Amino acid sequence: MKLSNLWKKFTRRRIWIRSLVQIFFFALIALIAINHTLAENGQPIAFLSNASLHALCPFGGVVTIYQYATAGTFVKKLHESSFILMSLGLLLALLFGPVFCGWVCPFGTFQEWLGKLGKKIFKRRYNHFVPAGVDRVLRYARYLVLAWVIYMTAATGTLIFARFDPYFTLFNFWSDEVAIGGAVLLGLTALLSLFVERPWCKYACPYGAVLGIFNLFRIFRLRRVPGLCRNDGACDITCPMNIKVSEKTIIRDHQCISCMECTSEAHCPVAGTVDFVAGGK
Amino acid sequence: MKITSKPMALVILIVLFGGIAVTTWLGWWATETSKVPVTYPDGELAGQYNPADIRGSYSFGDVSELFIIPIEDLQLAFHLPVEDPAGFDLKSLEALYGDLETEIGTASVRLFVARYKGLPYEPTEETYLTVEGVEILKLQGHLTPDQLAYLESHRVDLSVAAPVAATPPILAEATPSTPVGATPAATLAGPQTTPAPVETVHAPPDRTITGKTTFQNLLDWGVQSSDIEQVLGRPMPAADTIIKNYVTGQGLEFSAIKNALQTLVDQVNP
Repeated sequence: MKLSNLWKKFTRRRIWIRSLVQIFFFALIALIAINHTLAENGQPIAFLSNASLHALCPFGGVVTIYQYATAGTFVKKLHESSFILMSLGLLLALLFGPVFCGWVCPFGTFQEWLGKLGKKIFKRRYNHFVPAGVDRVLRYARYLVLAWVIYMTAATGTLIFARFDPYFTLFNFWSDEVAIGGAVLLGLTALLSLFVERPWCKYACPYGAVLGIFNLFRIFRLRRVPGLCRNDGACDITCPMNIKVSEKTIIRDHQCISCMECTSEAHCPVAGTVDFVAGGK
Repeated sequence: MKITSKPMALVILIVLFGGIAVTTWLGWWATETSKVPVTYPDGELAGQYNPADIRGSYSFGDVSELFIIPIEDLQLAFHLPVEDPAGFDLKSLEALYGDLETEIGTASVRLFVARYKGLPYEPTEETYLTVEGVEILKLQGHLTPDQLAYLESHRVDLSVAAPVAATPPILAEATPSTPVGATPAATLAGPQTTPAPVETVHAPPDRTITGKTTFQNLLDWGVQSSDIEQVLGRPMPAADTIIKNYVTGQGLEFSAIKNALQTLVDQVNP
């Protein structure tokens, strides 16, 4: 297939630039993780950062807040960069909601890619296996995970979540830093991604839990105009987080990842019906 | 105001990379430790380095320089390799003592430094020190009764448990690497206060067979080689062979052999 045809296929009818941004960040983090190992062996790639993934994780900033406030120190393995990335992530969340989840997070991207395979296998049944009642309750589990991680990190002064973090495991599976808990959760997430879109994001991600709160008051809001809406359910079907966009005017759901797939720019067929807007009603 | 995907992508990239660029320019961005711990913010210790911020990426030389602790004391306390103890990274302690049931790692160094200098620090996890480390801290004289009680209940006798190769010689005088103004505790104490357990690396004083005990230890404890061979059911190997290595290498069950040999040891009067 010619490159131009491939590009046309890639850019057809979706937020293609999001995919591009996702690929970029996935590749960047993968290369940095590899370079970290190379640096430890004395052979780093010169022009690329060789920081540890802990140093580049914005959630690290969240978990070290308590220790920084009480002792003036960072949790072991965390540095100023974690604080800075946390602040930048929160700034983006204040503007648009959890765009970090929908556009940047390499682990979300990993799940999305596996989800494409699940869609091919299960067609329309994909992402609709979990009963609605169970799903609704499970969506709040990530706040329990968040509370547990923050408490345990504060109590132990160590990066306790690293032992269970599937994201860290994915990009360090070759290193001896990987713990069995992380490997199990990575395998489980990969398997579930074939049935459910972004299972880790929906049910367990503590950083997603933090960013999700910003959907309640983000400056750019996802707005649906009922007067223009055909009520064809295209927005509902396409939403990876199973949000009933067609039943709302302003989307404040804490699970929205600001992926824009439901907007009139992507799957909504009527221009100006679902958009990201600031100001107004 | 409406925003579409392309401007949003641009904003995301600008905020993230612009934020990193600006904070780098301001000198705030750091993905690894500067090897300078934070200082106490206020009180009479204001401005002094806080041992709680010691990181695994520090070398013992860094710790020695920053907290003015003789490298010899650190070497003795943590059984550092004889060659280049100052270049030994704290995070490598975990590998050095990976066989121990209790962890001796960076937290142990934080605790040691804090107690050595009499600085406030509360360990956030069960933290252990070597018996030599505890002895050195006693000599420094900064310990409160509670701190002493904690250390007495959280000390590990590496002469029994640690790799023999990791045990340094006792250093009785300062070397040129000693920080200015610092005097090793071993020198201060003199020979009569030198921590005793180090001298017994090859003969654990409590006559308990461990994974590091050699056949020579058994002979030193008075066990006859014929009795040992009877337990083994075969000729005894070279005396400096570690019992566990030999037994497992022969496909025998170490715990059963150990128990039988321990019975022989216990039958011999010390």
